[in-house]
Amino acid sequence: MATRVGNWLEERFGWRAVWEAIFLRKIPKVNWLYTLGSATLFVAFIQIVTGILLTIYYVPTPDHAYDSVQYITNEVTAGWLIRGLHHWGASAMVVLSVLHMLRVMFYGSYKFPREVTWFSGVFLLLVVLGFGFTGYLLPWDQKAYWATTVGTEIAGVAPGIGETILLVMRGGQNLTAVTLARFFGVHVWVLPAALILLITIHMYLVIKIGISAVPKKEVGQ
Amino acid sequence: MSDEQQVSRRGFLAIATSAIGGLIGAALAIPAIAYIVGPALQRTEQGEWVRLGLTSNIELGTPTLFKTVIQRQSGWIVNENELSAYVLTENGREFIAMSNICTHLGCRVRWIGDQQQFFCPCHNAVFDKDGEVVSGPPPRPLDRYEVKVEDDQLFILGG
Repeated sequence: MATRVGNWLEERFGWRAVWEAIFLRKIPKVNWLYTLGSATLFVAFIQIVTGILLTIYYVPTPDHAYDSVQYITNEVTAGWLIRGLHHWGASAMVVLSVLHMLRVMFYGSYKFPREVTWFSGVFLLLVVLGFGFTGYLLPWDQKAYWATTVGTEIAGVAPGIGETILLVMRGGQNLTAVTLARFFGVHVWVLPAALILLITIHMYLVIKIGISAVPKKEVGQ
Repeated sequence: MSDEQQVSRRGFLAIATSAIGGLIGAALAIPAIAYIVGPALQRTEQGEWVRLGLTSNIELGTPTLFKTVIQRQSGWIVNENELSAYVLTENGREFIAMSNICTHLGCRVRWIGDQQQFFCPCHNAVFDKDGEVVSGPPPRPLDRYEVKVEDDQLFILGG
């Protein structure tokens, strides 16, 4: 039955070639450090699913943000779990992205012909940090408020354009409802769009070029 | 003689991957569904007795509209909801309180004194004085509230 459905679909859009290109491609003999990228992708998937679920109850206004988060955590069935996964997943994203980057650096995997994969990875890391920064404000508790006050203040000390950056980030002089709304907008629309675009590029290149082998030890040096 | 099937390394890994993937999927999907439907399954508390007003304000034989405001918790917000009921008494001692919400699709019905009937403006439903359906699409008579009288004050059990 499954085979018949598979064949039916195969005749119509040839998915088997795609499946083989993604999952049955040849790879060199590598070690467990090469799973860090997949681990990051997996956590990104968890973040997308739990993030979408959180928006079902979360309201990004100063009147309701804190209370709606408390409602999710204490009242909604499994809300503590969904929020907990998103909270800890956020830290895991940063840790895994950085470890993955270190693996790529130390094994020299960024070299020709994989420079563009590396560039897209650097932007992905920036996107992940952007997610962390904007997401931190959304619970609208004291920690969120003051962390964002400090974070935007730090951006403000950049020479020349710092003041402008601070004003644009906050949407005004102070940290207000405008700030919360734009952080939410960036967190759920701008950054996810960037993330998906960059992951697509990153994954296309990984599959198209193939992954690098573990560098050989030089003998007799 | 034994016909044991040899599972290849590749086959074993495929099964193991699917099994672990399925477990992770279930661990995510089950809480996700509970999370989405959770608030819908929460029982609305049986309401408290809500005071409508003096029984002497009710005209004999004519449904009289009472409006009152009740506080209701929805999610993390306490709402003030208006609660309306038509109260009818024939003798000043026994009262029936009817919801003014049409049983068809939830519009508000209105008492038309000239015709001695309730009308719903949405789909031309007509109810008689006791809330029974006269014509139109409603599936059942107007809903009734439980009523009690204390010290000449009329109370209904607001849900």
